[in-house]
Amino acid sequence: MTTINYFFKILKTPKLFVFTIIWMMVLVVLGTLAQKNMGLFAVQEKYFSSWIFWFWHIPLPGARPTMIFMLINLSFFFFNKSLWKINKMGIIILHLGGILLLIGGGLTAIFSSEGNMVINEGEESNYVEDYHYMELAIINTTSNDFDTYTIFDYNVLKRNNILIHENFRFEIEILHYIKNCKPIRRSTPSEVQYRGMMKNFMLSDLAPLKEENLNRPGIIFNLLNTGSRVDGIYGLFLGQTVPQKITVEDQDYIIVFRKKRTYLPFSIELIDFKKVMHSGTDIPKSYSSEINLIESDIKKHLLIKMNEPLRHKGYTFYQSSFIEGPDGETTVLAAVKNYGQLFPYISSIIMCIGLLIHLVIKLPKLIKSRNV
Amino acid sequence: MLKNKFNCYCFCLLVFSCTMNDNTRTYKLVKTKFPETITNTKTKKSQVLSWNKPERWVVSDGSSMRLASFSVPYSKGGGDLSVIKLDGSGGGIEANINRWRRQLNLTPLSLVAIEKDITSKQGNLGNYKMIEIINSETNDAFLCAIILLKDSTIFVKLSLKIEGIAEIKNEFITFCSSLNFD
Repeated sequence: MTTINYFFKILKTPKLFVFTIIWMMVLVVLGTLAQKNMGLFAVQEKYFSSWIFWFWHIPLPGARPTMIFMLINLSFFFFNKSLWKINKMGIIILHLGGILLLIGGGLTAIFSSEGNMVINEGEESNYVEDYHYMELAIINTTSNDFDTYTIFDYNVLKRNNILIHENFRFEIEILHYIKNCKPIRRSTPSEVQYRGMMKNFMLSDLAPLKEENLNRPGIIFNLLNTGSRVDGIYGLFLGQTVPQKITVEDQDYIIVFRKKRTYLPFSIELIDFKKVMHSGTDIPKSYSSEINLIESDIKKHLLIKMNEPLRHKGYTFYQSSFIEGPDGETTVLAAVKNYGQLFPYISSIIMCIGLLIHLVIKLPKLIKSRNV
Repeated sequence: MLKNKFNCYCFCLLVFSCTMNDNTRTYKLVKTKFPETITNTKTKKSQVLSWNKPERWVVSDGSSMRLASFSVPYSKGGGDLSVIKLDGSGGGIEANINRWRRQLNLTPLSLVAIEKDITSKQGNLGNYKMIEIINSETNDAFLCAIILLKDSTIFVKLSLKIEGIAEIKNEFITFCSSLNFD
């Protein structure tokens, strides 16, 4: 038997499924224990979204390759000739449900997005800000009519990466990406190479917090080859109220470090945010956002309430939170887009049908054997 | 078996090709009003700085921060000279000299103590201040000049060994005095 055939034999064996299921259980236990110290998002990234993770000095497979092996194993078993018999119809359907469940999980892992849409009363918004991931936006504001955005995602904002793009003629060398930082005013003058906010402030590294959304990420980068004194080291952090502006070769740019934004093909205008308290207490009973859904200049008047989300064009907007400020109220909508959202429901129904059919097929035999 | 291999190949190709490859995106949006910047680093058409340098000084590759950068040879070695211009006072004399002192592993001094070591020179851009910073333990030294202008400050720093000071000092003063705007 050749090595390839042996490999295929391993992929087909039901034992592989048993091992992957056991390994998933181990991962769930490790993740649950680690969550206490690391926080939910970090655990999800380390154990469940990763290909390999390090347990002390031992590299171990994450949930992603484990589930891929599980899917390959189920698929091989599903397409095995010996399974395709009428008396195994229930098992065939059960496997189909399992395969669909894993494919749905894969689609969710790769393509889904979730974030917040924050809208002040009387204003409208057409973008969702990701909960976790950051982006560096280089915005060319030279034109009187529009701004040109060049966005670099979190994945490329790593130390020593050099960011270049045809939209601008300078280079950005990432010097440091800080998961959690604190801007501290300098007590002595900065080194001469610092520019912008970094002339007066430095970004101090803090230990990342368990609650991911409490971290304040920051980035330090070197602007190169502008052909002018704009060259230098810049720093930006999340929530910086004053963006960094530069001019290179008569082109005006604004550089912003912000949560990853996904622009929508429609806008939501907040007309009124309402909250109802339990009488005589400060405990909220319900929140609701009266909104206009604006699409192609057509306004549709809608209400988003707790447990009554708005579903539109694949997005689901839940009433998540609110902010009360001196200038009025602000609604916070949790926006989710999940291409695989129907897969768990469909696959669960299919698996139930499969189990039921298998039971019906096996039931006469079971009754007969009991009678004997 | 061949069918299985083909299925496996197609499946693996499908699974492993499912990666997000949108690390860079571009789009255009209607103009947004951004908050005013505190540190607007707009490049102005500035005057060009000129100088007279000794022939043996060689132009070197400095950082992009430097207006000029030279290798300064002397009989027992070589030094590195940089010319930098900063807006305003550039942080002031005390802070900058103490920053240079720290670079030489020396303790910071008060302004009163620093001023004792400062000598005043006359150049094309007016009076400027010059100071020698020496660490005799490491044998390292800086010859520094600070030229205060109306809205900016020029810093000239020559990094060398102590034995080079006597040989280079006059050339350094001549160079600093020659600095001018075209």
